[in-house]
Amino acid sequence: MNKLPSEENMTTRDTNETNDEGQVSRRSFLGLMGTGAVCAGAAITATSSASSLLGHASGGNAYQQSDAQRIESLANPPKIPDYDWNKHKWAFGVDTDRCIGCLRCMEACKAENSVQEDANHHRTWVERYVYLEGSDKAIVDSQTDPKNIEVTGSEMRYRFDNRYKDVKVDKAYFVPKLCNQCEKPSCVQVCPTGATFKAPDGVVLIDAKYCIGCQYCVQACPYGVRSFNEQRGTAEKCNWCYHRITKGLNPACVEACPTGTRVFGDRNDKDSPISEFIRNHRVMVLKPEMGNEPNVFYVGIDKEVS
Amino acid sequence: MPKHIVRLLAVIAVIAIIAITARTYFKDPSFYQYGHYRGNAPAEIASKIPKLRGSDTCKSCHKAVYAEWTGGIHNKASKDGTSKTVVVKYGPNCEVCHTSAAGNHPSKEAMPLSVEDQVHSIVHPKHHTLATNVPGKKLLLSPEEARSVCLNCHEKMPGRPKEQRQIAIDSHAGVEMCVTCHNPHSPKIDFSFVPRMVAMQKVFVGNAVAGKSVSASCAGCHGATGVSVSANIPNLAGQNSGYLSSSLRAFKSKVRDNDMMSAIAAGMSEADIENVSAFYSQNSCKVTGGDRAKVAAGKAKVATAGCAACHNAGGLRGAGAPGISGSKSWPNLAGQNAEYLGATLKAFQNSTRYHTVMTSVAKTLSAADIDNLVAYYASVDCK
Repeated sequence: MNKLPSEENMTTRDTNETNDEGQVSRRSFLGLMGTGAVCAGAAITATSSASSLLGHASGGNAYQQSDAQRIESLANPPKIPDYDWNKHKWAFGVDTDRCIGCLRCMEACKAENSVQEDANHHRTWVERYVYLEGSDKAIVDSQTDPKNIEVTGSEMRYRFDNRYKDVKVDKAYFVPKLCNQCEKPSCVQVCPTGATFKAPDGVVLIDAKYCIGCQYCVQACPYGVRSFNEQRGTAEKCNWCYHRITKGLNPACVEACPTGTRVFGDRNDKDSPISEFIRNHRVMVLKPEMGNEPNVFYVGIDKEVS
Repeated sequence: MPKHIVRLLAVIAVIAIIAITARTYFKDPSFYQYGHYRGNAPAEIASKIPKLRGSDTCKSCHKAVYAEWTGGIHNKASKDGTSKTVVVKYGPNCEVCHTSAAGNHPSKEAMPLSVEDQVHSIVHPKHHTLATNVPGKKLLLSPEEARSVCLNCHEKMPGRPKEQRQIAIDSHAGVEMCVTCHNPHSPKIDFSFVPRMVAMQKVFVGNAVAGKSVSASCAGCHGATGVSVSANIPNLAGQNSGYLSSSLRAFKSKVRDNDMMSAIAAGMSEADIENVSAFYSQNSCKVTGGDRAKVAAGKAKVATAGCAACHNAGGLRGAGAPGISGSKSWPNLAGQNAEYLGATLKAFQNSTRYHTVMTSVAKTLSAADIDNLVAYYASVDCK
């Protein structure tokens, strides 16, 4: 039987089986190979996930970090003055019950990090969820809404307009959003150049020198926290003000928040604000079904928030 | 081995050698140090200089204001409402309203300090940044913008938690600025904030000489020096320049509507407004004698009706010049035409003119009170 591979593909399973008696057909051989590959893959995944679970218990390798690299990061951490990235495990809390939607966080962030000067590029932002009376559906808007831009007349100064002043509102609340610095970041997984990576202290960073601007990470992030900086030609996202937290300061948004909505700290320190926050509240994360394991913990959000 | 296979292998070998060489030369030595990334990158990212400096930085120069803020409700640390254990910062620090010290401090963009129209510079011990020195740059926030700084957080809006103090601005203050009654650093009722701001600024920007030529179109009614030709037209001589300019802007935008004045103001540029205001404010007024009994009765009423709280340079208890307002954004009443002033108070009474404070004050006055008050103010010299 000298069939061409294309013909082989076209034959039905039944004819294939009746034709091959006594000898291993090409199809079944390929099938066997496939099964073998799946088994081998599963074994590798199982061992690697087991090792990463164990690793977590004892400090843990960072995402996609080999044991040798882990040892190197412990023995020879980056030369950041007065800072050892092995001693910290940063996390962020958002208490939406306190948020007043003043958007000071956003302006502070833009100033601190020199983010692009328009409403559509941002590292952190705030969304407003409004349920009108008799409606189960939330109306959502943020600073990119044209009416909210109009109220300040500038895309560099942000404010929510008072459009619901004269209508009956059943329920409304504000939800600040920012990078979740996931334990399993999709953006890091897809980056082809190693320009974005998970640091052992928990922050997902962008190396602007190695970013080629392919924007695959922008597409990959399930939370939409990444944007593309056309001026620099690189991806852009919140890094919890890595240049501040490594100097013992709070991120700019936490510093600017007038109501204490935003909480930041080190989970290795049991008395830090974030440890207290997580201990004393029933916290949840956004889109847990995505399996990214975010490190931004929310209090007081509805099922509509994602 | 067939020739074509050898060729193929040769090509592959050449490509492989080029790739390996390129990798050796171009790969950053720190790549793969900690993972699939450049090991030097974290330190580079961390080396950026923070811009927000925190309130302690401001404290080093602005000690008095810092003390005001720490003592007030805008610097309140409270227990977390839910857990009772987490102490959270509650209230804005310096950089929430004033942008950061590392920004363009002490420029106007950095600091929404211009509580009044006539604040044309930020008077800073070291840098006297004049708006006029920065061509094309808007260094000032208008009063509306200054108010919006407060309203960013305090506007009554669905979605804000009940604990947040929220203000329905239309019924609370009308068009008046927040800082007229509140000190933003410690926002209890405090009338001293605006006068203090005025005392701080020493730079006068409107050009009185240029304003004289602008005043030609005003002279027909308001007189060549600002002493008006008729008793029902206001005197402008010696009036606060800030009040004159804000009134002209109000006429221009028709917030205050008057057929004659709106039409004239519509044709004035921003510079014209400042210059003509400067011109009239430097002139001296003409004081009329008036009925002595009425003047005495009016003088007594000034204290009891509360006029002096704003329209006396020293406030209610101070010894300042009578009829000269504490803030340059409020009108001086000294030397004003009695008939005009009376008509204005009646306009506040019947709400043809509206101002949160003046409307409520005017409604407490009887017709005789108004008569006495206007006679008194007409008799006081404006200089």
